[in-house]
Amino acid sequence: MASVKLTNVKKVYDNNVVAVHDFNLDIKDKEFVVFVGPSGCGKSTTLRMIAGLEEISDGTVEIDGEVVNDLQPKDRDIAMVFQNYALYPHMTVYDNIAFSLRLKKLPEDVIYAKVTNAAEILGITPYLMRKPRALSGGQRQRVAIGRAMVRDSKVFLMDEPLSNLDAKLRNQMRAEIILLRQKLDTTFVYVTHDQTEAMTLGDRIVIMKDGYIMQVGTPTEVFEMPNNLFVAEFIGAPKMNILKTELSKEGDKYFVKPCGAKIEVTGEKGRLLQEKGVESGEIILGVRPEHIVLASEPVENAIPCTLEVNEMMGSELHLHVYTDEGTRWIVRVPTIDLTSEQREGLVNGARLYITFEGKVMHFFDPESEKNLIYGEE
Amino acid sequence: MMTKDTSMKKHMGMRAANAISNTVIHIVLAVIAVIWLLPFVFIVLQSFRVENTWQVGYVIPKQWGFANYKNLLYDATKGWFGTPFAKWYLNTFITALVTAVLQTVFVLCMSYTLSRFRFKMRKALMQFMLILGMFPGMLTMIILYRVLKDLGLTQENAVPGLILVYVASSGMGYYVSKGFFDTIPKSLDEAARIDGANRAQVLWKIILPLAKPIVIYTVLTAFMAPWGDFVFARYISFGSQAGMNVAVGMWNWLQLDQIGQKYTMFCAGGVVVAIPVVILFLCLQRYYVEGVTGGAVKG
Repeated sequence: MASVKLTNVKKVYDNNVVAVHDFNLDIKDKEFVVFVGPSGCGKSTTLRMIAGLEEISDGTVEIDGEVVNDLQPKDRDIAMVFQNYALYPHMTVYDNIAFSLRLKKLPEDVIYAKVTNAAEILGITPYLMRKPRALSGGQRQRVAIGRAMVRDSKVFLMDEPLSNLDAKLRNQMRAEIILLRQKLDTTFVYVTHDQTEAMTLGDRIVIMKDGYIMQVGTPTEVFEMPNNLFVAEFIGAPKMNILKTELSKEGDKYFVKPCGAKIEVTGEKGRLLQEKGVESGEIILGVRPEHIVLASEPVENAIPCTLEVNEMMGSELHLHVYTDEGTRWIVRVPTIDLTSEQREGLVNGARLYITFEGKVMHFFDPESEKNLIYGEE
Repeated sequence: MMTKDTSMKKHMGMRAANAISNTVIHIVLAVIAVIWLLPFVFIVLQSFRVENTWQVGYVIPKQWGFANYKNLLYDATKGWFGTPFAKWYLNTFITALVTAVLQTVFVLCMSYTLSRFRFKMRKALMQFMLILGMFPGMLTMIILYRVLKDLGLTQENAVPGLILVYVASSGMGYYVSKGFFDTIPKSLDEAARIDGANRAQVLWKIILPLAKPIVIYTVLTAFMAPWGDFVFARYISFGSQAGMNVAVGMWNWLQLDQIGQKYTMFCAGGVVVAIPVVILFLCLQRYYVEGVTGGAVKG
């Protein structure tokens, strides 16, 4: 159990490619932090620098107050789970889990107790004498977690541990990782490209792009108060709808005028815009698909559009529509809200009307793409 | 009905064609096998021929016995293992064994280094060794002899000299094992290093057990080359009986003045020379069979 502190950490590869720029983060003791971002954003590189598998070009990494830049991975007191499991194929499950303990020269009875305990927690006791190749993907990942567990390390690092599993198993293992976290009660750093994993697992999420941190915050913060357009679009599925439009200030009220409609900014957002002293001008408007209200009749301030694709997801529909100006948006409609008549009407080419409330809108600067309300200077 | 008939005919036609091609292939292979095995059978039969020692016009011995084998190892004055052949055999065995051990260590360390470490001039070094390897080893013979002679490692001291020659450049034969090491996922090294292993432990406990087939291959080739070497061995032993290996020593038996007395003994010597190699292959060949990387990482 320990804190991890990264100060101005930078990674430059031999070919002068900068993978991570000036990374600063304070991970508290027993915190679960998730690095998330598209591939090539530097999240795995950062994790590997914490692990000691990648040299740190600049800056410092501290574990429990000690600078570990020049320590070997084995001396950093960390455990790591790899995306591809990295089990030793010539050893049984038992030997795989016991490997680190044997290197520490612990007595065999202590090793036995630790391995069987970990196996019990992970439900892999029946497979202890098998070789990894005789296990399924989920079982292999459990062994990999077991191998990390028995080390009782200060920090638990996980590099996309669920990426190789199928969707169903991934959901199951995700829940198991949450349970495991409760049992282990240690510091976790978790890397994923899947925003759902990040949202469900993390106490805090670090969203990265091109080697830069885009935002650090709790799942609620990054979802409701995205710093910038990238975070807004990356977090949430389906992604946020974006439209370049006009924000106009009339007295102390703000209005946006998407596709001919005129919608007043209400609630806290209106107050915050005023506090920030935002003036009229061009902005990027963001509205999450679940915040859009669908109507089959033209209502006040509704945007007329045409249905292009109707994706049935079970509990909800994802409707891909395009406005008369040609902007494509996605609308998320809970199936239960629709009568069977309405559902039948949702065929390609159907004429629909969409609208949204003033309090659900997000506003971004078209130049800097920063959130006009929450964006950091 | 029509279609069923045609389909049956097609099936039968295919079966007949398969049978014919199989028969032809087997006959061709059998002929090749016989041609290939004939010299070995011939040598083994001659080695048991005791009615006379010179070349004869028939293959099956008229009188069978172990006299040729006994003569290889038994000397009337010096007793068992007092013969030159025993000395040559011991020379060869020591040379091959030491070379096999050292060369395997060098090759595997070299391969692991080139496969896992990234350092300046790594590519240049690999290319340099590749080009260097294209020159025939014979070219170095004269200068090697000079160097070894100055070090006192020729003639009766040829064994350590030969070991030095075989082992010195052995790291250059890294290609095959490096290629194999490259196929072992690096995340296994990383997992082991996080688990507390140092680089040597990673190589010893993780990589080598997974690379068993290639380790065996390296041992076998490292043993075989000095075991059957003639050119360097002859040059460096330079006429000294005490420094010769079997190939050089037995070659002398084929000279005109000796062949009449030594012909069947030569055959027996050939059989004895093959024995350790056969044993080595029998012991190690099962490791070739199975690739062991299955299940390491998501495949």
